[in-house]
Amino acid sequence: MVTKTLNVSRKHEIKEKFYLIAVLQGMWITLKYFCRGFFLWKSYTINYPEEKRNYSQRFRGMHFISYDENKIENCTACYLCQTVCPAECITIIAEERDPLKNPSGVWKEKKPKSFDIDALRCCFCGMCEESCPKDAIKLSRNYELATRTREQAIYNLDHLKREVKGRG
Amino acid sequence: MSFNNQNIVVNKRRMYINYCSDKKPLENLEDQENLENQENQENQKNRPLKNKINIDGKEIEFLPGDTIMQAAERGGIAHKIPRYCYHPGLPIAGSCRMCNVEIEKASKLMTACSTPASNGMVVHTNTSKVQKACTGVMEFLLTNHPLDCPVCDQAGECELQEYNYEYGPGTSRFSETKRVFTNATTKRLSDKITLNMNRCINCERCIRFEETITKSYELVMLNRSWEKELTLSNYESDENDKDDEDKMPTKGLTSSYQGCLADICPVGALTFNDFRFQKRVWFLNRQPSICDACSKGCNIEVHFENDIIYRYTPIFNEKVNRHWMCDRGRISYHDVEDSGRITMPFMNTIDSHLHSVEWMTVLSYLKSTLAIAKKVLIILGTDSTCEEAKLFINRIPSLSKGEVKVCFYNGTGDVSSSKDDEKIDYLLQMKDQTANTKGLELLGIPPLETSYVPDSTDNTDSTDSDVVIYFRSGRAGVGGRGGLELKLKSSASLFLWGVFYKKELDKAALKQIVAIIPGLMTVEKSGTFINCDSLSQSFTSAITHKGAALPADVIFQIMILENRSAIRS
Ligand code: SF4
Ligand code: SF4
Ligand code: SF4
Ligand code: SF4
Ligand code: FES
Repeated sequence: MVTKTLNVSRKHEIKEKFYLIAVLQGMWITLKYFCRGFFLWKSYTINYPEEKRNYSQRFRGMHFISYDENKIENCTACYLCQTVCPAECITIIAEERDPLKNPSGVWKEKKPKSFDIDALRCCFCGMCEESCPKDAIKLSRNYELATRTREQAIYNLDHLKREVKGRG
Repeated sequence: MSFNNQNIVVNKRRMYINYCSDKKPLENLEDQENLENQENQENQKNRPLKNKINIDGKEIEFLPGDTIMQAAERGGIAHKIPRYCYHPGLPIAGSCRMCNVEIEKASKLMTACSTPASNGMVVHTNTSKVQKACTGVMEFLLTNHPLDCPVCDQAGECELQEYNYEYGPGTSRFSETKRVFTNATTKRLSDKITLNMNRCINCERCIRFEETITKSYELVMLNRSWEKELTLSNYESDENDKDDEDKMPTKGLTSSYQGCLADICPVGALTFNDFRFQKRVWFLNRQPSICDACSKGCNIEVHFENDIIYRYTPIFNEKVNRHWMCDRGRISYHDVEDSGRITMPFMNTIDSHLHSVEWMTVLSYLKSTLAIAKKVLIILGTDSTCEEAKLFINRIPSLSKGEVKVCFYNGTGDVSSSKDDEKIDYLLQMKDQTANTKGLELLGIPPLETSYVPDSTDNTDSTDSDVVIYFRSGRAGVGGRGGLELKLKSSASLFLWGVFYKKELDKAALKQIVAIIPGLMTVEKSGTFINCDSLSQSFTSAITHKGAALPADVIFQIMILENRSAIRS
């Protein structure tokens, strides 16, 4: 198909055409903020790693999997989060829990053998948290997700069990 | 011979194995009987007056002796009646009371599964009275039910879940502690079946299955009421070892149809270990196919996701397997997924090692070898489809000017043709462990002469072919007399075509194999099998080919038409 170019001519007022006014307006804003920072010591940035911004209590950050008093993860590998996840970033492989290492008896006969979340695909919608019948997967308020490699951004079960503090 | 005569078309309704019944609409039944046995026509005329029952406004004709449920099955509306203990393949128990229906002029609700239908009965399946009764039954069933659907493998195909959506009260008035069978929460009944007694709803389908279908009587219910517990009848407790209460009994279940217990159990109480926790059922795609593990040809459904097979389940077919299938067939999908399966073309180079090669290299080599061969022997494994056999008969002569001989080879156990085939148990399993021996015989292909077979006493020298092509789909000659150890002339070149495993090649005379051409297993291809009862059944492919394997017709197309576009990398 041949691409067609359509020229749209917009009518500008004389004030807009004479853009020196806009330039001066911009310069005024720059000058205003410069003076605030320079003379009044008011800044709009923070010294990030030392200082942290306080986000809302409802901010959704990195996932974690909660565990019980025996350090056994609450997840029973039901696959509901994998089913519901719109970004398809959760991959679970289930297996049977060794009955001898199963102090909680009936409720935990199945466990995740591997539980991976690809944080690069995750859109932090929180649907996994909502669907989980065991309140196992939760989103914390941790937003520091930077990693050196892409592989590190795929969280496995051990990584997910590290962090246990939920949102407010 | 036409393949289309008695084809069983595997249709969608049959997929719901616990709902399929051989109770057909009577009009069809009459047509069939008229066709099948002409002598019965006299009886047909003297048939008693038509019996009619009205279920939800639908007039259904039934045979004397049918229950209301069976009459509903004849009318194709049995799915309107909920049920737990009723199973069309098992005797009637009437123990769950889920199948309540309201009958006009009857003072109380009746169970559809066990009340005989009578002429002129008017039945309603969905009145408010029925709904209320079903809600009551559901509430009782759920009092002690653990509701651990997240853990339970049945979730997604659970009748308790389904009927609870439809009839359940939604809330529970039960505030007491639920009953827990601590010793039977994860109890291995055998290496194939695991019981979780907490989920059992005491429908006793499993017990009736053991009593009537396998006749092994290995399951019983102990105690009554809340304490009612399913146990093995051959449990032998150890007197000296009193603490070890949940020890594995000495024998466990022994029948070869244990997988069916997991199929018929309406809840997740009995689960099949091979599938246990492997996949949630709602991820699985389903495709009907035919089991190729024996000559019975049971109708199966292949459950797969992303071309990985997770399980086989039976499909109802009155003429072949009814509701059941054997465990050997059920786990035979592991052969498709076997990591040792050869799925790349290989050629034997001068140093007697097999090397992976391009498709065109091996096919042009095969073509040139066939062109100069004087005597070509095609050995078709009896697991080939009829279509593949025809393809070899028709196509090879156009590629070779020499004398072409086609014969079939079974090589499972001591079976060599369908005459040796026989039932090895009371239900389905056959001695012949390949699917299409009958089909190749009906195509007029002779069996392989005994002089080729490794341990035969026949020493006449007829093994004089230059080129031998051994074609099979992974079943013929497996586990029997070692299909690869054929007695061949030492200068003959052997082409292996189809499904072969690396472990077999270690045994084989490597220097005779010149090339391996990877082919497809039954679930990967389409075709027709003719089973031991001469019933022809067609199937289409369920999953795409593993690795670089190609269907036989595509390979012939490439060789004859030089059409390379079909090759996938
Ligand atoms: S937050 Fe949303 S996108 Fe991320 S894992 Fe959960 S369900 Fe998937
Ligand atoms: S929904 Fe919860 S219990 Fe289920 S698999 Fe996900 S984290 Fe585990
Ligand atoms: S048997 Fe059905 S209702 Fe019961 S836990 Fe399993 S899936 Fe849920
Ligand atoms: S184990 Fe399953 S089939 Fe057997 S009685 Fe219990 S619910 Fe019914
Ligand atoms: S199905 Fe009729 S009583 Fe159980």
